[in-house]
Amino acid sequence: MAWRRLIITLAVIAPVLWLLAFGFQRDARYIKTPLIAKQAAPFTVTLFDPPTGIREIVLSERSESTGDARKLSLADLRGRAVFLNFWASWCPPCREEARDLEAAWQKVKDKNLVFLGVALQDTEKDSRAFLEEFKITYPNGRDESGKIGVDYGTWGIPESFFIDAQGRITYKHVGGIRAALVIAKLEEAAKGIVSAQEGKGDITPVR
Amino acid sequence: MRITTLRTIYSILRLQPRPWPEALAQDSAPRAYWKVPRGSPWGTTVIPANACPEHSRRAGIQARLILVLSLLLFAHLLHAADTPDLEDQTRAISADLRCVVCQNLSIADSPSEMAKQMRAIVREQLQAGKSPQEIKDYFVSKYGEWVLLKPATQGISLLVWVLPFVALLIGLALGIFFIRRWVAKKRSAQPVAADPKLLARVREEFANAETEELDLEDPSPRAQLLQERSRLYTDLNELEFDYQAGKLSQADYAGLRRDIETIASTVLGNLDEVAASAAREKGAERRRPAAKQTEVAQPKPGLRGWQVAVGAAFLLVFGLTLGVVLTNSLRPRGGEGDSITGDFLTGTPTAGKNDVSALLQEGRTAFNKQDLRKAIEVFKKVLAADPNQPEANSYMGMILMQAGHADGALIAFDKALSQAPNFPMALWGKGMALYQGKQDHAGARDVFEKLLPLVPPGEDRNAVVKVLAEISTAGQKPKTTAKPAAAAAPSSSSASAGQITGRITIDPKLKTAIDPQAVLFIIARPAADGGPPLAVKKIDRPTFPLSYSLGAENMMTQGMPFTGKMNMAVRLDQDGNPGTRGPGDLTGDFRKNPAEVGSKNVDIVLDQVGK
Repeated sequence: MAWRRLIITLAVIAPVLWLLAFGFQRDARYIKTPLIAKQAAPFTVTLFDPPTGIREIVLSERSESTGDARKLSLADLRGRAVFLNFWASWCPPCREEARDLEAAWQKVKDKNLVFLGVALQDTEKDSRAFLEEFKITYPNGRDESGKIGVDYGTWGIPESFFIDAQGRITYKHVGGIRAALVIAKLEEAAKGIVSAQEGKGDITPVR
Repeated sequence: MRITTLRTIYSILRLQPRPWPEALAQDSAPRAYWKVPRGSPWGTTVIPANACPEHSRRAGIQARLILVLSLLLFAHLLHAADTPDLEDQTRAISADLRCVVCQNLSIADSPSEMAKQMRAIVREQLQAGKSPQEIKDYFVSKYGEWVLLKPATQGISLLVWVLPFVALLIGLALGIFFIRRWVAKKRSAQPVAADPKLLARVREEFANAETEELDLEDPSPRAQLLQERSRLYTDLNELEFDYQAGKLSQADYAGLRRDIETIASTVLGNLDEVAASAAREKGAERRRPAAKQTEVAQPKPGLRGWQVAVGAAFLLVFGLTLGVVLTNSLRPRGGEGDSITGDFLTGTPTAGKNDVSALLQEGRTAFNKQDLRKAIEVFKKVLAADPNQPEANSYMGMILMQAGHADGALIAFDKALSQAPNFPMALWGKGMALYQGKQDHAGARDVFEKLLPLVPPGEDRNAVVKVLAEISTAGQKPKTTAKPAAAAAPSSSSASAGQITGRITIDPKLKTAIDPQAVLFIIARPAADGGPPLAVKKIDRPTFPLSYSLGAENMMTQGMPFTGKMNMAVRLDQDGNPGTRGPGDLTGDFRKNPAEVGSKNVDIVLDQVGK
């Protein structure tokens, strides 16, 4: 019967059209992270300047002193909740959030929480200029080989990871993040609460 | 390589025959001996000539050269023994991993920096001894299944591999099913019940094994029927044979026999009819052989009129929907104004759409052309939908600033900032409004300082820095613009620090009828270098006398400070097009050029025609 054929045709076309509409609406670059609730990959960065505050505490807690005082590894920060932020000087959303992050750091620096920034795909000179411009005082290092970026599955910067005291990633936020969210998620991380979803803000894709 | 080896090679290479002049002069026969150069590994000795005859001298040198080169190559090969293999492996694994940046390329093909870093990681892990599967698992653990170009054969990804084949099989099955049904329909359209009398005749004729000479070329119905009949009898014969030979089962034989006999009976019936109605012409067409009867029995398949109409309507609706959806999802072209190639599909929106970004683009172009009326209209539309839209509010603020309403401008900028506190344009506008409109240096400085870090280094940034510098110096100088308000020209702007204000009138001798499309341009050129205009203000439908105020917001390049001495000129363009200079255009220059920025009463008279 003609009606039946029509219905069958529509039944085939409609899902295809729906799929098309759905596909047009999602962000093609978005990569969902499999890292939440997993152990954070270990790494070591050379800090730009030995920062005041957290560095001394960390050093003093280590039983033996290792050679380079400017190297900070994730293992050193075990036992504290860590806010790990990937940025680059050529990324506009990173510029927008830099002041917020510094303000947040000033608020929490006396508590047992750590801010660590890692510059991706950036030159030494530009990264330093960025830090000086925004007067950032929390520890920052540079990812020379790109391995740390891949270890954390970065695809769009800025990316922020919240790591709890046992080294587990509790939350990932891709894109610009607000100070309030930083502090809230950091406190959650301190308690070991794992978030269900990752967050999204303005991003610039990596190069 | 060790030094001694190098020296050996060097000395070997240096070893060459020295032509003795005496030998060459006197005779061609070689001399008795060679002289070996000093420092050779053999020491300074003398080798008798017959040890190295002439013809083998060159061969000896060549042999030595080959030996040396092969030693060098061999040494290199020893070092590079494992590298080609590593590169191949790296490339093989990289070809299966997707690049995060260029997302349809593998990291082997992608030129991005991230791909390079990922390849380095692959190589490093290979050197550390990991297997390809482990390396792929590592990347999957960081980016998810998505990063594999060949999806894994587990879980939901298995569908990707299996589904095409399943679809193929389903397609084949459906095809077979439908074809079978179609064929069965054809067959089942035959009359099942056969006339028993005819059946009896069939059996009788068959038993008699009647054979006739048939003319196969004869197209007449009777001949066709006779051919059909003889074919059927042949089929029956074969059927009998097959059954005797045991190829058919009882049921099949019975069924087939019944079918053939049925067909034969109808053929016979048709023959009778043909014979009976040979004189009648009508019958010839209708009495066809039995095989063709089935086609007549079935209703003629084909599309009825209304089905075609529905199909066409559906296609039309589908096409329209697709077109509308596509054009609405396109982003309008940023930056320039109207597109050259037309504006339906290439994204420049028409006025009727409600899309915010399209309206914003329209407003932007209108503002850049200084068509302020249109710009206001468009931005008001945007604000009707979203009262706090940052960009629309910023532009409204800029327009209000141009008109001199600093308070209104501030309200607009604040609305913009309430939604997007870091919107650069709103911050810039607010800063300028505070600085020039309200003379609030402290407030302006705060705003500009907030703006400064948001602007990446470049031209715009320099502009902000300059303004900040200006504010700090201006704050220290005593205010020079505090003239009593009554005596001042009725300027619409309350600021004068960065503005030139005055009145424009037309020379009474030239008071011709002004074209309704006339546009007034107020042009400020820097007095120092007399270059291109620094600031231009365009006023539609001017009425004279006209009070104007020219300031930093009218500058050709936004962000530069409006200071110094300017040559002021005005032009009344009758056709409204600044590009063409018609004979009816009126122009005028400020008598006391140059004017300092900040001066009032810069009154200009339009007293020249068509310059």
